[in-house]
Amino acid sequence: MKNVIIKENETLVLPILWTGEESEISYEVLLSGQGASVAILGLLLGKDDAALQIKINVTHAAKNTKSEVILKGALTDAAKVNFEGLVKINHGATGTNAWLAAHLLLLSDKSKGRAIPSLEILENDIKAGHATTVGRINDIEMFYLMSRGLSREQAKQFVVQGFLASILEKFPREFQQKAKKNVRLS
Amino acid sequence: MKPQPIIKDSYKYGFHKPESAVFKTPKGINREIVEAISYHKNEPDWMREFRLKSLAIFEAKTMPTWGADLSGINFADMYYYVSPTDRKVRSWNEVPKDIKDTYDRIGIPQAEQRFLAGVGAQYDSEVIYHNLKKQWEDQGVIFTDTDTALKKYPEIMKEYFGTVIPPEDNKFAALNSAVWSGGSFVYVPKGVQVTIPLQAYFRINAANMGQFERTLIIAEEGSFVHYVEGCTAPIYTTDSLHAAVVEIVVKKGARVRYTTIQNWSDNVYNLVTKRMFVEEEGVGEWIDGNIGSKVTMKYPSVYLKGKGAKGEVLSLAFAGKGQYQDAGGKAFHLAPYTTSTITSKSVSVAGGRTSYRGMVFVNRGSKGSKSFVRCDALLLDDLSRSDTYPTNTVNEEDVTLGHEASVSKIGEAQLFYLMSRGLSEAQASSLIVNGFIEPIVKEIPLEYAVELNRLIELSMEGSVG
Repeated sequence: MKNVIIKENETLVLPILWTGEESEISYEVLLSGQGASVAILGLLLGKDDAALQIKINVTHAAKNTKSEVILKGALTDAAKVNFEGLVKINHGATGTNAWLAAHLLLLSDKSKGRAIPSLEILENDIKAGHATTVGRINDIEMFYLMSRGLSREQAKQFVVQGFLASILEKFPREFQQKAKKNVRLS
Repeated sequence: MKPQPIIKDSYKYGFHKPESAVFKTPKGINREIVEAISYHKNEPDWMREFRLKSLAIFEAKTMPTWGADLSGINFADMYYYVSPTDRKVRSWNEVPKDIKDTYDRIGIPQAEQRFLAGVGAQYDSEVIYHNLKKQWEDQGVIFTDTDTALKKYPEIMKEYFGTVIPPEDNKFAALNSAVWSGGSFVYVPKGVQVTIPLQAYFRINAANMGQFERTLIIAEEGSFVHYVEGCTAPIYTTDSLHAAVVEIVVKKGARVRYTTIQNWSDNVYNLVTKRMFVEEEGVGEWIDGNIGSKVTMKYPSVYLKGKGAKGEVLSLAFAGKGQYQDAGGKAFHLAPYTTSTITSKSVSVAGGRTSYRGMVFVNRGSKGSKSFVRCDALLLDDLSRSDTYPTNTVNEEDVTLGHEASVSKIGEAQLFYLMSRGLSEAQASSLIVNGFIEPIVKEIPLEYAVELNRLIELSMEGSVG
């Protein structure tokens, strides 16, 4: 469990790249000062029998704080991801903006995904939302690419890269290179 | 906008009639009491055994460690069985007068005359009034209380009772299995379409009286039925417990819709287990409105067991001062090409707390399944609270699962617009709240929708502009 405290007007971008090494990733983030902001961006690439428990708790304890937690994962073989997220907005943390999202792409029939994105909200002058999707590759996208002469494997590569691109773009530059290499490999 | 103190009006149906109970077990629960209930009801041995087995499970199970605080429930300080009248009547004229007065105030006779096929009204633990229109009876539809069903249709009861929700499921299902009384039994034969909703009202009248009704609905192949259940209870100072079990079997190609408007008074613990088994191409729908009670924990679930089965849960929660509505829905995809939708709308005011707690599970092999969950929460002031606890588990690749949630307050622009048209702030707020819950209200039978809108208006009264 990593504890992170973000103070007044501080902004932190926290990129997470998982390629199967760790079995547990866990963050506890406290937005303690006014205007504190955090973005937790997770890129999860699982293959073979890699399994990940990922837990992210964010607490908004001050006014005008902002959090954005976005996870995107692509799982092949018998890879598993279990995500538990909790965003808590304390009483008095007005003007808070929170967004919690998890998107998992299952690329094989043995891969498994579980997502529990929870919210606890004790203040009404806020904006909060969350979204989850778990599912397979889009048939229409695959069909389009294959009708242009790509093999099934190549088409799959493209679709997965496209799926992950939106989060890659948000990564800090030095991290992007490393992440991109991994995406190509998967 | 400054915070709006919105005071929930005193409970509309908070009157109670003098108790005229005939047989009442002493306070508390033990083997003797369970046996006395079974003996008083003159039940077959298998049911007595089932009750005793369930009692042992109840005693062994621990209280849930999540959700609402249930420490206020004192199992030893409760009556588990009260029978208000020994007579069962079929015509309205024969219903005892004080009971009739009570129903008059909540408007049952009118509702029945207008468009209801049959009414099973539960007063304390027994269903005392039953009337099923002849046309359905001729088609073989059975609509009676569960106690009568046990005597008249023992084969059907034995085949299905406790199979959808076994007593092992949770502590309160076990408690209900041990001391259940009343509830409805509905059997719809193959191919029969019951086009007018069946309706039952439930009330708790004896102080400290737990109500443990047990409902079983069986829809045979290709049939359709819509069952409507509404609850209103008089105010009492001591806490009451309502722990019902509702079991529904939807056979191949059948469709069952179950509508509840729960409006228990603010001292009731409402802990209900509701589940549907949906077979091939069947459709199971829950419409679940939670307005009253002190604490509600209820997550109607659909088990999609056959290919192409469909499930839908519409959940509405409204929590005012001192209330905690822990509601939601569950969908288990156990067969290929199954689809589920869960829509939840919740409103918290004056320190009330609503939680959406949901579960979508897709089993390996449930190819082509789809599920979509949408929860919206409206927080009306900074004293109230709203939570979302969704669990999504997918063990199959060929699945589409989506979940979305939003939490918001009443928009200042909306409020400004309505008030510029001459509405007071309270009127404008209640209009916005009614608009917010509209997608669910429109699925509810008319007289309930009217009552619901009135209740929302009532709750919004007294807000200072």
